[in-house]
Amino acid sequence: MSTIPRVSSAIAGEPAHFGSVLAHQPEISASFFALYGRFWGSDVLAARLKEVARMRNARVTECGFCRNVRFDKAVAQGLGEEVVDDITDGYEASARLTDAEKAVLKFTDALIHDPELLNRDARAALQRHLTPAQIAELGLGVTLFLALAKALITMGLEPDAMERTVLPTPAVLEAAE
Amino acid sequence: MSGPVHAALAGDPVLAEHYAAFRAKAESALNPRLVALIRQAIAAVHGMEAAAIDDAALDERTRVCVAYARRIPFEHTAITDPEAASVVAHLGEPGFVAFSVVAALADAECRAGLVDLEGLAGV
Repeated sequence: MSTIPRVSSAIAGEPAHFGSVLAHQPEISASFFALYGRFWGSDVLAARLKEVARMRNARVTECGFCRNVRFDKAVAQGLGEEVVDDITDGYEASARLTDAEKAVLKFTDALIHDPELLNRDARAALQRHLTPAQIAELGLGVTLFLALAKALITMGLEPDAMERTVLPTPAVLEAAE
Repeated sequence: MSGPVHAALAGDPVLAEHYAAFRAKAESALNPRLVALIRQAIAAVHGMEAAAIDDAALDERTRVCVAYARRIPFEHTAITDPEAASVVAHLGEPGFVAFSVVAALADAECRAGLVDLEGLAGV
């Protein structure tokens, strides 16, 4: 996996990172950030559950950038590092993760890794804990997390090293509405 | 707009529209035939119903892009700098950015279909 950018920054004076590289395509960039802000701004599915899925994707997909970013909305909803530490193989046995979070993790694993993991029991658990609207939003989220991680990695935008960083949760820009 | 993610969002038209706009902007940045080939190649890797691509009938530039797209589903961390550079050489940097987004989204959409996202969302 390359940590040398395969695309240059399109913003003068800024290093190559996801935003500065995506700026090569301003319309794609604007539509992505509008979508991502709308997704995170929706409370149909709690930000904590979205972040649990995002953390799992980061680990399975090997996205170091994603793995070291935390969104503040989920942190405020109690997603501390002791819980994040359990989002690893064997999470089924965690005493810190809730049953709903484990159902979300199983769905995430099925989507990003192996659809066979979503067997009848896992499917029933997901539907017991989440409404259809919440599952739709989760499906969108995992789709975006996976695609974003793979785009980052294949464009060589993985950091050599990165501190854990809490960022403001993406939000809808009022001017874009 | 077709696909399991957009369909699953039927209960939230605003979010569905945002998703459709994002995918449409990414795809519109590339040649429509190349977009179709990317989606077809990735669906085939996932074992989903997709007509086989006759690589021999493709020009060199398209063949390089299709080969690269086939690596996205299960080999994204193994793609080398020279492989990426060859796609950049054919598409340019803005084209490579769009290509990376389109291919990654196509892979994720196949996966969403394989877990029956639409069914789970009650659509």
